[in-house]
Amino acid sequence: MKRTVLILVALPLALMAQLPQPVQECETLRHHGDPAARACWQKLTRSNDPATQAEGLWHIGDFKSANDTFRAVVKMRDKDPAPRVRWGRMFMEHWQNPDAKALFQEAAKLNPDYAPAQLGLALLAGEQFEGEAIKNAEKALKADPKLYEAEELIARVQLEDNNHPKAIEAAQRALAISPEALDAMAVLGSIDLLNDKKESPWFAKVLAVNPTYGNAFAIAAHFFSINRRYEEEIAQYRKALLLDPSLNEARSALGVTLMRLGMEDEARKELETAYNSGYQNPETVNSLRLMDTYKDYVKIKTPRTILMLHKKEADLLKLYFQPEFERALAAYDKKYKFKLSKPVQIEVYPNHEDFAVRTLGMPGLGALGVTFGYVVAMDSPSARKPGQWHWASTMWHELSHVYVLEMTNHKVPRWFTEGLAVFEETAAAPDWGDRLDPGTISAIKGKKLLPVAELDRGFMHPTYPEQVTVSYYQGGQICTFINQEWGYDKLVAMIHDFGDSLTTPQVIEKELQMKPEEFDRKFASWHEPRVKNTVEHYDEWRKRLREMGTLMKDKKWDDAIKEGEAIRDFYPEYVEMDSVYERLADAYTAKGDKAKTQAELERYSKIGGRDPEALKKLSELQLAQGRKKEAAATLDRLNLIYVEDEAVHQRLGAISMDLNNPTAAVREYQAVLAGKPLDPASAHFGLAVAYKAVNRAADAKEEVISALEAAPGFKPAQKLLLELSAKE
Amino acid sequence: MAVKTQVGGNLRILSSALILLSAVSTLRAADTYYLTVAGLGGEQEYEQRFAGWASEIDKILKGEPNAKITTLSGAQATRANIESRLAEIAMQAKADDNFVLMLIGHGTYDDNEYKFNVPGPDISATQLGALLDKIPARQAVIDMTSASGGAIPILQKPKRVIITATKAGTEKNATVFARYFVEALRDPAADADKNEIITALEAFRYAEGKTAKFYDELKRLSTEHPLIEDTGKGDGVKSATVENGQGMLAGRFALLHTGSAAAIANNPEKQKLLKQKEEVEQQIDELKYRKASLSVADYRGQLSKLLVELAKTQEALDK
Repeated sequence: MKRTVLILVALPLALMAQLPQPVQECETLRHHGDPAARACWQKLTRSNDPATQAEGLWHIGDFKSANDTFRAVVKMRDKDPAPRVRWGRMFMEHWQNPDAKALFQEAAKLNPDYAPAQLGLALLAGEQFEGEAIKNAEKALKADPKLYEAEELIARVQLEDNNHPKAIEAAQRALAISPEALDAMAVLGSIDLLNDKKESPWFAKVLAVNPTYGNAFAIAAHFFSINRRYEEEIAQYRKALLLDPSLNEARSALGVTLMRLGMEDEARKELETAYNSGYQNPETVNSLRLMDTYKDYVKIKTPRTILMLHKKEADLLKLYFQPEFERALAAYDKKYKFKLSKPVQIEVYPNHEDFAVRTLGMPGLGALGVTFGYVVAMDSPSARKPGQWHWASTMWHELSHVYVLEMTNHKVPRWFTEGLAVFEETAAAPDWGDRLDPGTISAIKGKKLLPVAELDRGFMHPTYPEQVTVSYYQGGQICTFINQEWGYDKLVAMIHDFGDSLTTPQVIEKELQMKPEEFDRKFASWHEPRVKNTVEHYDEWRKRLREMGTLMKDKKWDDAIKEGEAIRDFYPEYVEMDSVYERLADAYTAKGDKAKTQAELERYSKIGGRDPEALKKLSELQLAQGRKKEAAATLDRLNLIYVEDEAVHQRLGAISMDLNNPTAAVREYQAVLAGKPLDPASAHFGLAVAYKAVNRAADAKEEVISALEAAPGFKPAQKLLLELSAKE
Repeated sequence: MAVKTQVGGNLRILSSALILLSAVSTLRAADTYYLTVAGLGGEQEYEQRFAGWASEIDKILKGEPNAKITTLSGAQATRANIESRLAEIAMQAKADDNFVLMLIGHGTYDDNEYKFNVPGPDISATQLGALLDKIPARQAVIDMTSASGGAIPILQKPKRVIITATKAGTEKNATVFARYFVEALRDPAADADKNEIITALEAFRYAEGKTAKFYDELKRLSTEHPLIEDTGKGDGVKSATVENGQGMLAGRFALLHTGSAAAIANNPEKQKLLKQKEEVEQQIDELKYRKASLSVADYRGQLSKLLVELAKTQEALDK
């Protein structure tokens, strides 16, 4: 999702005026794609002026010498912002954004009205999808109204927010300043392509200025990428590289996208080519390293599914992932009335950073799952702390994207596909999905929910840290509202409308017969009462939850219970760490009140609590009451959250046998064995008993022999062996 | 315990080790002396936790035949009391008895000496070692404290199993190993070979596995790496294997009997069947050792026959 390809190649003519004359000459040659540019830069490396020499060194790719020279120039001209900005721009090209930022900030400090410094900060913010990109660009324009590159940046940011009219306006403003604003033309061309025009006259105009400006197509590829139209993205990158094979950043981005789509051989080829040409940015290196680990994965294939699992956990995960995968596809076939044209691949990563690299080329991603067309990448349950998330819910979320992207030919705004996917999670099971979190409550309180027509902005350019999460929530609530008021068929109709290239306002008007503004009002009046209680009491709830914590610490159980019961329903959806439910259960346990402990944990589980220890405790309490079905259901639910707990499988295996459900018991004992248990003999024996119950005598005998191989004196297994042998 | 000559001298030793491991199941249980000490917690939470684990061990051991149990915790867990009880055991225990010392709590290490923290003056590994040397019985020292790895070089000795919660004296954080060691004594799953005896090796493997899983699941950097050492020399190991030579003594060292094996072993009428059982077990061990040289079908076929024979013998023994 980097935007570097958009910002590095073309130096705005407006900025050129601030450069030494020889540099301006070389920039002009480059801007027009003149092959003489190379020799021009080379010549600058012999200049007597260090600032000019540094530019030459930079542009011939000698970053180390350029770096040393810029350092010397900055030292000599310690009150001049200009060399700092140029040095910063070079750092940006060399993937050193923090260094670039420091230099732009220094330059801005020396002269707050120095437009190139503000532009540098704007470009950096834009590259990192930060909300203040436009604000910074406007500052730059204020300092220098002719700085068309700032208008180009605004155009790009607006287009990333899916706001075509504003993007067009900004691009046109850039062209009014400079008719040779190549990136502005590329943005306008991209809009044509995004609107399904096969060709755009803007690209011809670009090539008339610079016949080798492949970057224009890389810009189009970028917009296809953020709109999840990966096949088209790939096609545009290929065009870009055909025009300019030296565009290594585009090559690397192409390689990453090919990897995302599961085209591993081609991906490796492109990434290696970029790497070997000296383009060794983190995304390229990380992606190549990740691909080196693919030999540690296995692929389990059926006609409709491909499950890619790490060898170390494949035997365990396949028992749960495969049926859930198939169940979700069957459900969505019916719900969306749509059949996918090829198998879906789900890749499951036990190391979260591998998943992040798989997704972005970089570590540090907060997401749990990502969909790239027919390929879904997600964390394994083992990638995070037990109970931190619900893997099945995530899988259903991502698989909803697969359908919606395919049904719309990837032409769906982010808010809708995310909102629908969030809705589908709780539609699959009410206890799935994310709950109303404190960050969202705070946003609701601060009236920060966005109008539906602008909701994409909350995903693409968040202006406060929690805005992406809040936007997921809002999208989910909007889809819930539509489902409730107009019915599920409207949501499906909306999918098709987006596929027909209608915009959000058009779709709202067509399907719901109202303007987006009216929809926003109606949504607000539906939504506000639903959250009123929690929003109003949130501060009080927080304060009293802390007090309850102190009471618990002091073992004042009665007081803690009184407090907990008083505040629990202020914010019933809170099931994270130290939830009122769990605290109440602990307090009741301390008082020896099993019935109330159980009741509290049942509330917790029903509303979506995920803590494995709490759920295990609940199942034991249910079991103690002879409520085996409920106990099994609790552990079944836990399996969709965390599957690595041997004791849970052992327990559920035994309960399933008691409930005369040997098929479930077979799966559970297989899970115990897959987890490489401390007590393999018992696991093999459990599986043998379950096999016997489903009339798989030969398998039962194999397992009982395995049990006795580990523990020859294991009496129950000996008895079963004799029994099975007698029947032969 | 004869091994066919064609397997070679080196192999013969290894195979004998396997046979010894299984032979423990029918050995008559001698007297076992247990001394469990819950040291100084420093904070109320730790005081309760340590005393709770010691008390749980005490309860579990109550059902053990021929057991002589002493549990010290709280104000009782002083150096003087530990020394006094160790001196008593040194007087009472015989060479074929077992002695199990379990230390729960905090430990410290200063590059030279390990100390177990107790109320009043601490007791050092050197002091403990001197007292343990006077006890003629086979010994298992289960040191579950922080920094306990630092005690291995000081305490190690032939005929003594040493288990520690940490791999070195430098692992100074409070440990969870003790929690899982206690669990090993009450969880039938710890009896991996299902011979109704939990050996020191089995308990170690169980607790070590659970400790590793604890840190892995919580995505926390592991601050304890339990070790076992039972040869009297060299470093402790995480996994006792035939290759590293560790675990032979621990594999025969019964910590706890969980069934009727001991009673049967003492019944003279069952001696013939017991002998037969031992022979079959021995053949199974030998077959397992030859596993790699056999086809899967051949191995499983032979194993199945022997296991059926063993099961029938056991059935006769249990009548």
